[in-house]
Amino acid sequence: MQRMRRSPILRRLGPMAFEASAIIIAAIFIIPVYYLFVTTFKSPAEALLQPLSLPETWTWDNYVKAFDTMNYMRALTNNAIISAGAVAGIVLFSAMAAYTLARRNRRYSKLLYVLFLAGMMVPYQMGILTLFKLVSDIGLMNRLAGVILIEIAYGLPFSIFLFKGFISSTVPIELEEAAKIDGCSVSRTFLTITLPLLTPVVATVAILNMLATWNDFITPLLFLQSRDKGVLLLEVFRNIGQFSVDWTSLFPMLFLSIAPLLVFYLLMQKYVIAGMTSGSLKG
Amino acid sequence: MLLLPALAIYAFFFLYPTASTFVYSFTNWSDVNPRDVTFVGLRNYASIFNEDIYATGIRNTLIYALLSTVLINALAIPLAVALNRKLKTRLALRSIFFMPAVFSPLIIGFLWSYLYSTSDYGLINQALSGIGLDKVNFLGDPKLALYSVIFTQVWQWTGYNMVIYLANLQSINPEYYEAAHLDGANTLQSFRGITLPLLAPAITFCTVTVMISGLKVFDIIYSLTSGGPGHATETIVSLMVKRGLGEGFYALGAAFGIVFVILVGLITLVQLRLVKIWGDR
Repeated sequence: MQRMRRSPILRRLGPMAFEASAIIIAAIFIIPVYYLFVTTFKSPAEALLQPLSLPETWTWDNYVKAFDTMNYMRALTNNAIISAGAVAGIVLFSAMAAYTLARRNRRYSKLLYVLFLAGMMVPYQMGILTLFKLVSDIGLMNRLAGVILIEIAYGLPFSIFLFKGFISSTVPIELEEAAKIDGCSVSRTFLTITLPLLTPVVATVAILNMLATWNDFITPLLFLQSRDKGVLLLEVFRNIGQFSVDWTSLFPMLFLSIAPLLVFYLLMQKYVIAGMTSGSLKG
Repeated sequence: MLLLPALAIYAFFFLYPTASTFVYSFTNWSDVNPRDVTFVGLRNYASIFNEDIYATGIRNTLIYALLSTVLINALAIPLAVALNRKLKTRLALRSIFFMPAVFSPLIIGFLWSYLYSTSDYGLINQALSGIGLDKVNFLGDPKLALYSVIFTQVWQWTGYNMVIYLANLQSINPEYYEAAHLDGANTLQSFRGITLPLLAPAITFCTVTVMISGLKVFDIIYSLTSGGPGHATETIVSLMVKRGLGEGFYALGAAFGIVFVILVGLITLVQLRLVKIWGDR
């Protein structure tokens, strides 16, 4: 393309036109999110007549109503408890397991690793029926702890895969050997020497699982039935039928349910994008 | 010892349910028959292959997974190449295209059900009537519904895959392009000769992951169409939840789950093989 002779003006215009069209495409692309946001401030009539304009008055009434209907603080707290518990469990347990699997070269550790990897291939939805029975049999139904444990089980395979790859390829074994000679136990070596070196993967694993657990719908739907154990997605789901006609009341609920992740994304963009993608190419 | 917590949780909440699903798929366990469970051989599997609804579910799932894989990747690669150029706004543009990926498909589904609506407030139909076209019943028309669902997921996931392609693009040595340029290759030729082959790792990852999550699709179906109109958008997992849990045919749902896993495994294998053949070429 560059080989063609062009006038200097055209050569300058080309990239500018390219950039301008990219911006226009992006603007069209993001209309749904913009539309969701501006509609939350409008009355039904205004939203109907001027769907894409900025609201005439920025009224918060819709939000106040949605906040109450959704039982927002409780749902948000439940979400936070589940995600925090699950992420902490996944990071710690998968790092521990990956460390053992990476450093022990016995046959059973290879076998166990394959068993964990199988979890990445077998979709967990397959076992939900018996999982449902199991959870109600052991009395974990309708408890946040039950959902946390299930989320941990689902999150482990990929996290172990990421940790093990990192430990095998980048964490020097010499440090651990030195610690062992100094009389350090295996768990202390892990905690004081290996774990601090894993920070980049910890960030990846934490962000990936934070998003996955926060956005998981089917697990809370099946295992948290009572209203006070609701999470944000469940609250939206429960209200959708009732408010399907009253859509300017519903939109703030939709927006409130994605707002925490939107804030998280806008603040931590660099890390979120890096975290969500860095696991992909090393594998 | 360090292995123990992970192994215990994984065995209890994943391995055991998965393995027992396999066992239950050969029994008559159901809501009406919760205790007196006996083995019935392959009866559940037979009824899956005899009832049309399951074939519909499998067909819809295959269309969904295949089409979304092709469309998402076919759009994400050029988008990544475009946003890899030196644009002033490229960081902002990247984060805009990536944004939908952080939201739950459930919420995306509810939002799009309003955008698609044929009522007065349906934004897309408002625009269509604005330019003098007829309204389109995106979700109510059985011929269109599945494709309308696919479109929302293409919208949601193209930016995510774009970022993976971008990471891969940035690892390509710019000297290759200079050399090709000196040899007189045009943009399209260097795209085909350099970019595409060197994108093989990202292409493998993205096509396989989009395919697998396409086969598992549930949330977006649940929020956009609940499988309707009729059974036009029913998928394997939506049927498993509906029949297995909702209507209490546990063993039947379990058998369908096994069929599902075999299907996912087969498709992933074939796909990995195809990508490898392409990569070796």
